[in-house]
Amino acid sequence: MLNKRIIFALLYCDGFFYLSRNFRLQKVGDIDWLINNFGFGDTCHFIDELVCILVKKKPTQEDKKKFLENIEKLRKKIFIPITIGGGISSIDDVENYFLNGADKILINSKIYDSELMFKTAELWGEQSISIMIDYQAINNNEDYNIFTESGTKSLMTLSNFKDNILPKIPYGELILNSIDKDGNGTGLDLEIMKNFNNKIKSPILLMGGAGKPEHILEGLKIKNVSGVLTANLFNFLGSGLEIARKKSIDNGISLANFEKSIRL
Amino acid sequence: MKKKIGIINIGYGNIASVFNAIKFLGYDACLEKNPKNIFKYSHIILPGVGSFAQNSKLINKYGWNESLKEYAKSGLYLFGICVGMQLMFEDGSEGGEVNKGIGFFKGHCDKFITNNDLNLPHVGFNNVKHKNTKIWNDIPNDSPFYFVHSYRICSTSKVNIISETTYGEKFISFIENQNIFASQFHPEKSHNSGLKILKNFLSLN
Repeated sequence: MLNKRIIFALLYCDGFFYLSRNFRLQKVGDIDWLINNFGFGDTCHFIDELVCILVKKKPTQEDKKKFLENIEKLRKKIFIPITIGGGISSIDDVENYFLNGADKILINSKIYDSELMFKTAELWGEQSISIMIDYQAINNNEDYNIFTESGTKSLMTLSNFKDNILPKIPYGELILNSIDKDGNGTGLDLEIMKNFNNKIKSPILLMGGAGKPEHILEGLKIKNVSGVLTANLFNFLGSGLEIARKKSIDNGISLANFEKSIRL
Repeated sequence: MKKKIGIINIGYGNIASVFNAIKFLGYDACLEKNPKNIFKYSHIILPGVGSFAQNSKLINKYGWNESLKEYAKSGLYLFGICVGMQLMFEDGSEGGEVNKGIGFFKGHCDKFITNNDLNLPHVGFNNVKHKNTKIWNDIPNDSPFYFVHSYRICSTSKVNIISETTYGEKFISFIENQNIFASQFHPEKSHNSGLKILKNFLSLN
């Protein structure tokens, strides 16, 4: 049977990896720190996928090139699926991300650009598009505003988006990222799933707020949640993700058991 | 001398990952754009991220279709991944129209039949129950491998099927016939189990 997923997200800007809290960024360390001090290679034994996001506002082509070069250093020794996003402004960017190691691309600001969405689906298939929706509650959680441009621009509400945009665009999965919960470590926004019934035929993943292994388990317990993302470099430092994985499996969540003992 | 491994580069698909995996395993990898150069390699990998329609058109346009048939006849080793596997069957309906595959195996590539409980695409790690052929050496049965696809192979023929995986229905996740191998999953994205399959393939002489 298909397993659920625990995914780690790396936030990158100008040579460094960042923590994010309510969309405000805090510098943590560079690529060497990530590999040598954070022990990133070991961490990857306990995650199903990696997401790498360029979080710089209005990045230049040079910024994107450096971002991809940083990912290249990670990719050489990591053999798990990678989604790359942030800063995509054209079909050339999409192509460049695929040529530089993306299995899927992450779309946020370009979700309303149907030409780019359909062209990407035509060339790489719908399954290669992950949509990330940054949202914030309004009217006492009655609805949500959907943000693009690193949480700075909102064109519509979630209900409007669900009815009028989502059914018309090609995509493979939907990542719901709570701006209110982002980086605060108090647990995922599980309530948001009440807005998604079985009409959405693609996998849905939750992001924002996971601060300890129990939070990941809580998210994965929800029937229609296919996976949980965390970008919290500190709370899941060291064995955090290994514990989260074990705890989830012990509680009956179906997660892949990666065989580390196979000798290559 | 190190073996030289060719990775077919038709411009679409994450070939960088396959390239890195082969280098990591200690082999020389080369991205090959020209079908005429195919016999330089003892092992060829046909990767694939992308749509069946797009890939099918490109392998015909650049002459890969014919050269891969010649290569397969020669007994040298060929491995298809994901869309690369799908292309080895008769045809595929992704993209709205039916496009021809290479035809090494009998069967068609069509969309999963969806019902209320089934999300598409089929994405994530799913378990693979496999027969113990040489390429599966040292890999435990029911190991998890990474899938990302909405189309799968339907075949009435059970010949050559090495593994099936369940997602709403049983579909073919690995097939082999003598020197031709193909997986619907991505071995280059499936931790050590996937790397081991690639290693077993590259070790074939």
